[in-house]
Amino acid sequence: MAVEASGRWRGMRTTAILLVIWEIVGQLDLVAGGALPGISEILIRLWVDWGDYPRHIWATLYASTIGFLIGNALGIGAGVIFALSPTALRLFRGVNIAAFALPPIAIAPILVLTLSGMAPRIALAALGVYFVTMTATVIGLSQADSRATDVIRAYGGTRWDILRRVQFRGALPSILAGLRVAAPNAVLGAILAEFGGGGRWGLGAYLLGSLGRGEPDRLWGIGLVATLIAGLSYGVFALLASRTIGATRAVTLNTAVPDAAPMTSAPIKRIALTLGTITLPFLVWWAFIKATGVPDLISKTPLGVVDYLFFAPTAESAQTRLLAALAETLPITFVGMAAGLGFAFLLAISSRLSPRAIEAFMPVALVTQTMPLVALTPLLVLILGRGTSLTLWVTISVTFFPAFVTLAQGLALVPRSAEDLPRAYGAGRWTEMRMVTIPASLPYLFAATRLTVPRALLGVMIAEWLATGKGLGNLLNQSRGFLDYGMIWTVAAVSVLLSVIFYQAVVIVERRVLRRLGMATAE
Amino acid sequence: MSAPDGISLSGVCKTFTGRGKVVEALRDVTLSGPMGSFTAIIGPSGCGKSTVMRIALGLEAADAGEVQIAGTVPMQAAKAGKTGVAFQDAALLPWRSVRRNIEVPLEVLGRSVAPETAHIQHMIDLVGLKGYENALPGELSGGMRQRVSIARALVTHPQILFMDEPFGALDQILRRQMNLELQRIWTETGSTALLVTHGIDEAVFLADRVVVMHANPGRIVDVIDIGFDRPRAPALFSDPEFHKVCDHIAEVLHGG
Repeated sequence: MAVEASGRWRGMRTTAILLVIWEIVGQLDLVAGGALPGISEILIRLWVDWGDYPRHIWATLYASTIGFLIGNALGIGAGVIFALSPTALRLFRGVNIAAFALPPIAIAPILVLTLSGMAPRIALAALGVYFVTMTATVIGLSQADSRATDVIRAYGGTRWDILRRVQFRGALPSILAGLRVAAPNAVLGAILAEFGGGGRWGLGAYLLGSLGRGEPDRLWGIGLVATLIAGLSYGVFALLASRTIGATRAVTLNTAVPDAAPMTSAPIKRIALTLGTITLPFLVWWAFIKATGVPDLISKTPLGVVDYLFFAPTAESAQTRLLAALAETLPITFVGMAAGLGFAFLLAISSRLSPRAIEAFMPVALVTQTMPLVALTPLLVLILGRGTSLTLWVTISVTFFPAFVTLAQGLALVPRSAEDLPRAYGAGRWTEMRMVTIPASLPYLFAATRLTVPRALLGVMIAEWLATGKGLGNLLNQSRGFLDYGMIWTVAAVSVLLSVIFYQAVVIVERRVLRRLGMATAE
Repeated sequence: MSAPDGISLSGVCKTFTGRGKVVEALRDVTLSGPMGSFTAIIGPSGCGKSTVMRIALGLEAADAGEVQIAGTVPMQAAKAGKTGVAFQDAALLPWRSVRRNIEVPLEVLGRSVAPETAHIQHMIDLVGLKGYENALPGELSGGMRQRVSIARALVTHPQILFMDEPFGALDQILRRQMNLELQRIWTETGSTALLVTHGIDEAVFLADRVVVMHANPGRIVDVIDIGFDRPRAPALFSDPEFHKVCDHIAEVLHGG
């Protein structure tokens, strides 16, 4: 216990030091003329405002809880089907990538147009949950011990016997780990929907409503409460998992969209499946609109968007605005992502040189995994203003932490003997790093890139929407104001499409490179 | 007790602290492998036999005691290229071909590869991997990977050869074959060898002396000299004398 306790103690010491620095900096108004208040000021304000909180907290909690339940039901159900049928998994690959990669802020306005009341918030919370739980279920079910399944089969057990007796029980740790990560995602989804959807109650709405008032202490108070709720939701499931099965593994989950084994079927079937994979997301879109029964004027089907962008009288103006917005959004997305990944890579690599320095940082990085980071953009507005540097920092902050955790945890998996080998021949740290650590980190660098592509776009769009008045995020927000329904749907579709294309591009490059190097992709 | 050109550990102690438990991994381990000798260490899991090797390689520092490898401290010997090592798992770099994996020690030592090309090919032939020079480790079987790691251990013409269960992943037939090969290589090169193993027959067949260790704390309980003539032929495996020695070691091993 001594080591664990001293680690915990060190973590607490780091936290305490950070809090003291925060308080001093805050009291002296050192950051952007008081944009960062001291902890004591924030807490006092929280106390004063406390009367406002219950209704906001309740609204956010309500949407995220219902969304969490629905998202998990869908995720586990779909996961079971995908684990049983590789064809279904392949067919839904397009839908699953879209679910993973879509920037929630882009589809929030669409949900608000087509659904009513709390439904948009619930839908976005459920969407944030679905992918994580689905992936965890598929992986958990397919990782079943083959010897155990052989035992069941040897006694004449059916597919269902195997599922019931071996796979479900074996998948439990994976699914519980999924729920842990999914819980804060639900809170984040609900808050993002509140940003994008208007409405009076909810922590997101409260945050947005207080942004214009120049009261940093109140904004920080709301941010603190939102973070606490997300962190608690993680903690509850972490506790549940460790109580029931002792599964207290990582706070991150794989970013890979589960993939079925290579197809050996006839070419015709293969082509049909590929076509199905691409068409299915659009079918889901179309079916969603038909199901909600919202008039054509407001809701656009895929064809409606094509018509708006290419054939309608206003098509040319729409194209110009869209391209201008893309020209603003894309460069900064890539710069921010590259910077976030670059910092994370350097830090993870150097953590192998001085493990002690990173030991203190790792808990902080892990905690950020449970924080609704993008939802804290309004706080960054206070500090950084409404310029490009805001967009850049939001993007870096939402990409850096997950990338660092992925890389650091991946590097920890490099077998000791692989690093011992150069050392046994007297290699210095640098040679060891050059020959082993850096090449070995490549799969995790790709995994981190996959993870951060959609987050970078989300970060940029949030900053544009809430603060800078540029790019796709702003176009979306403006179109809302102008009731330009065609543009709302177009921006949503384009940003989802871009995210999916970038994700898929990374996957293709990753496969090529790693195959040539004889390495496996990091799941 | 002086073995200036071989392996010499005297009074080595090592404790590990982990999860609040203090484990006495090695207590007063004294061991000498004179130049040109073949020493095998045998013992149950957790008896510290791998730790002995890691200390002799300079990968761990001893808490107390003295370690001399080829007349100097372990790291010095390593940097001078006097040692070769094969680990329990093959520890190949998955992104390097068989040949490039075998070149790793040369690169680390800053030697040029070109003059060694013929030697490298010879090592590849020796371990029976002719034709696989450009294969990646992922394309090889476990046994083949293990053989790459043995070729790699030999590439520097080491004076001292460390092997941590190098044949653990091989099947019995291949293992016998590799035992014979190893004996031949060791005789040819005149190197000093330290072999950590689980297999009693392997240890008796190869070694001049077998060091038996016990766990909790990790310590040497007996050193048994093996006197069979060299070169030893496969027939030795079925010799009654051979079995008598093996049985005796098994008794010592199990606390008899």
